[in-house]
Amino acid sequence: MEKHKAPTGHSYYYNAATKQSTYTRPVAPPVAGPVAPSPVTPLDPSQSFLQYQAVGNSIPSAGPNFNNFSQQQGQFSGGRGGFQGQSQHGDRPANYRPRPKPQPNDKPKSSRPIPGHEPWALVQTKYGRRFVFNTAKNQSYWRIPDKLKDGILALDQSRIKEKAEALEKEKQVNSERAPGAAERPALEPKEAAQSHGEGEDESAEYEELEVTDDEGEEGGEENPSKRQKTKEPSQDEPVEFDEDDIAFQLAAMGQEYGLEPGEYDDGNLEEWDEGAVEEISYEDSAYLFKDLLKDFGINPYSPWEKLIEEGKVFDDIRYTALNTMKARKEVWEEWSREKIKLLRELRAKEEKKDPRIPYLSFLQKNANPKLYWPEFKRKYKKEAEMRDTSMADKDREKFYRDHINRLKLPQSTLKSDLLSLLKAQPASTFNSTTLSSHLPPTILADIRYISMDAGSRDALIDTFITTLPPPPESVPEEETEEAIKEIKDRERRQKALEERGRLVAEEKRRQQRNLEFGKGRLRVEEAEIARAMNVTKKGLKNHLMTEDSGDKPS
Amino acid sequence: MPAIRHASKRKAPPAGFTDIEDDLLIFSNKMKDAENAGTDNVPRHAVHWPIFQISHQRSRYVYELYYEKEAISKQLYEWLLKNGYADAMLIAKWKKTGYEKLCCLRCVQTKETNFNSTCICRVPKAQMKDNQNVECVSCGCRGCASSD
Ligand SMILES: [Zn+2]
Ligand SMILES: [Zn+2]
Repeated sequence: MEKHKAPTGHSYYYNAATKQSTYTRPVAPPVAGPVAPSPVTPLDPSQSFLQYQAVGNSIPSAGPNFNNFSQQQGQFSGGRGGFQGQSQHGDRPANYRPRPKPQPNDKPKSSRPIPGHEPWALVQTKYGRRFVFNTAKNQSYWRIPDKLKDGILALDQSRIKEKAEALEKEKQVNSERAPGAAERPALEPKEAAQSHGEGEDESAEYEELEVTDDEGEEGGEENPSKRQKTKEPSQDEPVEFDEDDIAFQLAAMGQEYGLEPGEYDDGNLEEWDEGAVEEISYEDSAYLFKDLLKDFGINPYSPWEKLIEEGKVFDDIRYTALNTMKARKEVWEEWSREKIKLLRELRAKEEKKDPRIPYLSFLQKNANPKLYWPEFKRKYKKEAEMRDTSMADKDREKFYRDHINRLKLPQSTLKSDLLSLLKAQPASTFNSTTLSSHLPPTILADIRYISMDAGSRDALIDTFITTLPPPPESVPEEETEEAIKEIKDRERRQKALEERGRLVAEEKRRQQRNLEFGKGRLRVEEAEIARAMNVTKKGLKNHLMTEDSGDKPS
Repeated sequence: MPAIRHASKRKAPPAGFTDIEDDLLIFSNKMKDAENAGTDNVPRHAVHWPIFQISHQRSRYVYELYYEKEAISKQLYEWLLKNGYADAMLIAKWKKTGYEKLCCLRCVQTKETNFNSTCICRVPKAQMKDNQNVECVSCGCRGCASSD
């Protein structure tokens, strides 16, 4: 006797001698039937198709991360705009509250041998998930191999017929009983005697159920699915059907139709062909996210909420490199801190290099057409900009006079002067990623830059930057060894992410295909149930007979 | 009637202001929108929530720029406080242990509340029963204990 785990995580016991599995440890060895040698069927994962039922597991996958985040960071929700990362993108309601995670408390409920595939059994769990169990190899799989599809389809069909039959019997019994008895759903007496009591179905009772592969062993020549169609459910069938089953089946169908592929994932993702998906390290993911921030020209001074509210980075694949909002915010924080530091250093260096920049900016703020140069000089003689020794006093004077004179020119001239200055800038230093707060020194040190009033000038420059092309691929003078390595690293990360994205998309497509297959099957089942429900008391036999004879040429 | 001071005569902001000017403008616009928004269908106690929230957000923005990102100078930080871009009193609270995430000053004033104690939003989530859904009356805060 060995202990095993079903994919649900529920343990069961398997007796190697009798090839029987039970969910409770048997007290005495069960009576063994004749054991037929079971062919070993190798499982080819590439041939398998995904499980399509996932009742009780329909929590959208996109939710939890954001939930966690808002729980940790969010103080407010609702109201206008985002607050503390609360703003949602997409159509998620603003006051989307965290839900408690579903407690996976699933366990096997029934097992049925798959006709025509003897060592395989189809196990249904309490929550209606299904998995296959290879009784010979003693292994369970959520993913159902392709080759078992026909068998399972036959099994499902026969099951529906049985249900219809049971329902019919029930009606018959009810009509014979006292009117009050009809309220309580009842099984046919003989079945009811064997059944484990429908009311206690969820309790310990069904844990005693044996999962056997008896039928496969004694199935003989007869096609089991055929036999089930025309006969009573056989004695060795371990589990009875009741209206719970039917109700479940219908509920599952209803649910199935509305589901998106991502929503019905039942844990299969863990069983992806490992090795195919190369894991991207956290470090690389963080770099990818930083590359994204850089490429979108995100202003490192801006608050996090702005990034989320604007949402312009959402569609880039690198946004998904990190998978929680918490991680994204952390990396963003780190990035903006680094970036701000860099910008400050850069600016300090530039201003040191070119004293005209701080001086011109000082002029823009303080120059006054009413003041002559000597008056201006006297008024501000204590200011650092006026005392900087790296700039000659006569240059200061020239700039002042030029600037005062330019202020008398019409706005249109000043505007076109500024535009020609902007157009003269090389793409390597002035491009779509340039921040308007960090313009190249060749602009800042030009008198044309300070002629317009700062507000309309900055607006004009902002607009101009949006029309600029992205930075050129490689800047020749920066092609140091380090720069090359950086570019190569960047490419490698990008590639890894794209590859992962491709695999995810492929898997999605596969799920979609399987969902379509599942839907098709459900349509067949639905039609069958609808038909079965319509069959009258008398008509049942006829119905089944025509169904059967329909298989043979008449 | 107070004297109308012309924008150009106001003392110019310290260096670095241009770095954050745009974002501050966004906050100002949001604040204006919130102030002008119709409140017909809003419960009386919730009318001022959006304004509290934007004000909190903007204070937080300035606080982080100065204390966490070291992105702005002390002069600029002080200028921002003086010119109402951030709530100095609230920031002073954030620097104290246990108040790192405080939503607003009203929520720590004991007088105005019914139970003569601080606001429900100050109670750590861990002490709440079954993820109880908090939304405080004074500012709409959903919990601002440091441990949350
Ligand atoms: Zn609060
Ligand atoms: Zn508050």
